[in-house]
Amino acid sequence: MKDTYQMMVCGVGGQGILTITDIIVMAAKEKGLRVLGSEVHGMAQKGGSVVTNLKIGKELHSPVTPVGSCKALVGLEQNETLRYLKFLEPGGTVITSKTVLFPISWKKDKKAAQLARESIEENLSKFDAEVVMINAERLAIEAGLALAQNIVLLGALSQVEGFPLTVNELKDALKRRVPSKYLEQNIKAFELGIKSLEN
Amino acid sequence: MAKVDELIANKEERVLCLGNEAIARGAIEAGVQVFAAYPGTPSSEASTALIATSSKLGHYAEWSTNEKVAFETAYGAAISGIRAMTACKHVGINVLSDALFSAAYMGTTGGFVLLVADDPHCFSSQNEQDSRWLGVTAQVPVLEPSNPQEAKDFTKLAFDISEKFEQIMVLRSTTRISHARADIQFEKFNTEFKKGEFEKGIRYKCLPAIARANHPKLVAKLEEIANWIPESGLSVIEGPSNNEYGVITSGISYEYLRDALDLLNKDIPILKLGMIAPLDKKTILDFAKDKKNIIFIEEVDAYLEDRISALLIQNGLTPKIHGKCTGLTKRYHELNSRIVAEALQGIIGGELSSIDKIEEIAEETKDFIPFRPPLFCPGCQHRAAFWELSKVVRKNKGIFASDIGCYSLDPWLTDTILCMGGGISMANGFSRVINDKPVFAFIGDSTFFHTGLPALANAVYHKANINILVLDNRMTAMTGFQPNPTETIDIAEIAKSLGVQHVVEFDPYDFEKGKETFEEALKHEGPSVIIMKKVCANEWWRQTRRRGEKIEVYTIDPETCISCGTCIVQYQCPAISWSIDTNSRGKNYSVIDPSMCTGCSVCSQLCPVGAISKAEE
Repeated sequence: MKDTYQMMVCGVGGQGILTITDIIVMAAKEKGLRVLGSEVHGMAQKGGSVVTNLKIGKELHSPVTPVGSCKALVGLEQNETLRYLKFLEPGGTVITSKTVLFPISWKKDKKAAQLARESIEENLSKFDAEVVMINAERLAIEAGLALAQNIVLLGALSQVEGFPLTVNELKDALKRRVPSKYLEQNIKAFELGIKSLEN
Repeated sequence: MAKVDELIANKEERVLCLGNEAIARGAIEAGVQVFAAYPGTPSSEASTALIATSSKLGHYAEWSTNEKVAFETAYGAAISGIRAMTACKHVGINVLSDALFSAAYMGTTGGFVLLVADDPHCFSSQNEQDSRWLGVTAQVPVLEPSNPQEAKDFTKLAFDISEKFEQIMVLRSTTRISHARADIQFEKFNTEFKKGEFEKGIRYKCLPAIARANHPKLVAKLEEIANWIPESGLSVIEGPSNNEYGVITSGISYEYLRDALDLLNKDIPILKLGMIAPLDKKTILDFAKDKKNIIFIEEVDAYLEDRISALLIQNGLTPKIHGKCTGLTKRYHELNSRIVAEALQGIIGGELSSIDKIEEIAEETKDFIPFRPPLFCPGCQHRAAFWELSKVVRKNKGIFASDIGCYSLDPWLTDTILCMGGGISMANGFSRVINDKPVFAFIGDSTFFHTGLPALANAVYHKANINILVLDNRMTAMTGFQPNPTETIDIAEIAKSLGVQHVVEFDPYDFEKGKETFEEALKHEGPSVIIMKKVCANEWWRQTRRRGEKIEVYTIDPETCISCGTCIVQYQCPAISWSIDTNSRGKNYSVIDPSMCTGCSVCSQLCPVGAISKAEE
């Protein structure tokens, strides 16, 4: 287990969390690594908080990653990132989108929403973590596909030290996973994600 | 996530799939010939996969109207000598138990497997019922895989064991196995479908005299199976030989245990049971005989602990028992490797990195994290129906008994949700003792056919003064849009033929008409049935977009909007939110996200100032 790479992808249902989890597991399998992940179906649908756990390595046992155990966390919505940040091990890396999706509770309570939005960066920084904030929405639009915010973050993840899959391995899996008519935009989004971390 | 082509490919290869799909593949490799099931999270994907592959492989597979019907369908096929299977979630067991408990006495000739997927932690369930006890209550053998690979392998094995002992087999999974994704080793298969042959005789008639004779045979058979387990390889002993400690575990708990020992950097003897009923007495007693401490690691109930502790006492063994009885793990919710490691640390020692600091920060920041409850989708007709009803009958002026389905998410009216089909019958009960308030029952189309029908017949027969709202969205939406009899059997015709005098169908998007419909129903004495028949808005929206057709969305005029929040805060359509900019009065106004709007028009009907209209091209 010590050479197992543990990570999580979180966000709001409908943001493409399962899609990037798919791409990562496809790339890992192609590389000859074992993968084991867990996700929750059913009630957690569109608009709910969604998270997937993922382990990549050689000998894998339980599919769940407990508090303080993940090397990386990818968050597609910044409040969801805050929700799952405790699962990161001390010093781990968080790749989070700056995207904010308003839940019904915030639509009702504008003051709470305001306060949470003002404090988000401070709250994220309280954890012992390397936080990388990316304007995924802007980059996805730049790539020509607003829905590809997840792919932007995948590009950024490929640059995280210790992540077991290379840019090319992920790109190959991406090509197999996304619909061919949006491939070009997705590749662009992936590359903009890589660049966002280089700068 | 696995494709149908991968599931049916007769190849030896590694395939990425869900645990449930691995189970389906196991059944395919075993040559399952008849499959019937009712959907229920976390079991549904196994059924979806077997139904999706049926036309290509040639086995018979159906979505049945309920778990009992599914069980009986598969059982009829199995006792005709062919391999058959059914699948359900843990609470589905309660529906099929009537058949199961007697079928256990009679056994089977063709392999028969009942997959049950439990949901520790209630991720999408109404309770944490632990199906392992079926081994005791129904007296059926129970196999419990620990991971998706074993789930596939055990499924295949279950058919063989079932035929070897002519007994029904239960395969017990949990959410973390069924919904795990992993790379699974598939094997080749050689299927030869048989013609069913039913051997006539008295065996399959559960009449008292026959049942009385069958029960001792069942008890003897279970003893025979228990004696066979050691040679099956299903009980596995791992770790060093050591007399101080021994852990007994099964299922997903075994995997948590392995990771926990790794975290603690400890190695102690483990007995992993693959078959948890009947108990492999010989292996258990051999394992425990010199141990000073026996530790039980299991989720939810103390099933292994209670049964095995009794076994040890009966055989004169007195190790110290560590388990739920000593508070080692809780009797509720799921485990993980950290919980197990913390539990074991107190007994076997070992180092564990502290997470106190992380928990402290998490506690400090938790109030900033918004609650995101599951909501009705944009355009959902259930939201419209409940809203209209809430305008006609205010919450405290009526009693509202709901049921299981998407409509369980109603934020305004619902008073009770008990079980599949429970709403109509509970409404009957309310109506007998509450006379000054109207009583309503809500039920979906799939639930109506599942267990709503007998309740409706009962309500008509006993002239219950209740109002039944059937939310017919043309499919079993909550569990993944499965088809059900509403496709071909008309619910209004059923209600009329049963003798319901007041049967009305209405379109919930028509706000005024909806109010009239409810007011009319309230005037009626005796049961009334109001049917809201409209295809699930989410599915309609997805398919319309897939076909590349345009959806006529709505838009809000920022200057007309008075920021009252009716559409956002009260109606709660997820497609509508507050603007970032302000209008000329300096107010944030409502905006509709055109990528989410389904064009249902309801918000435009309920806006008090007429600020919402169809967007222009």
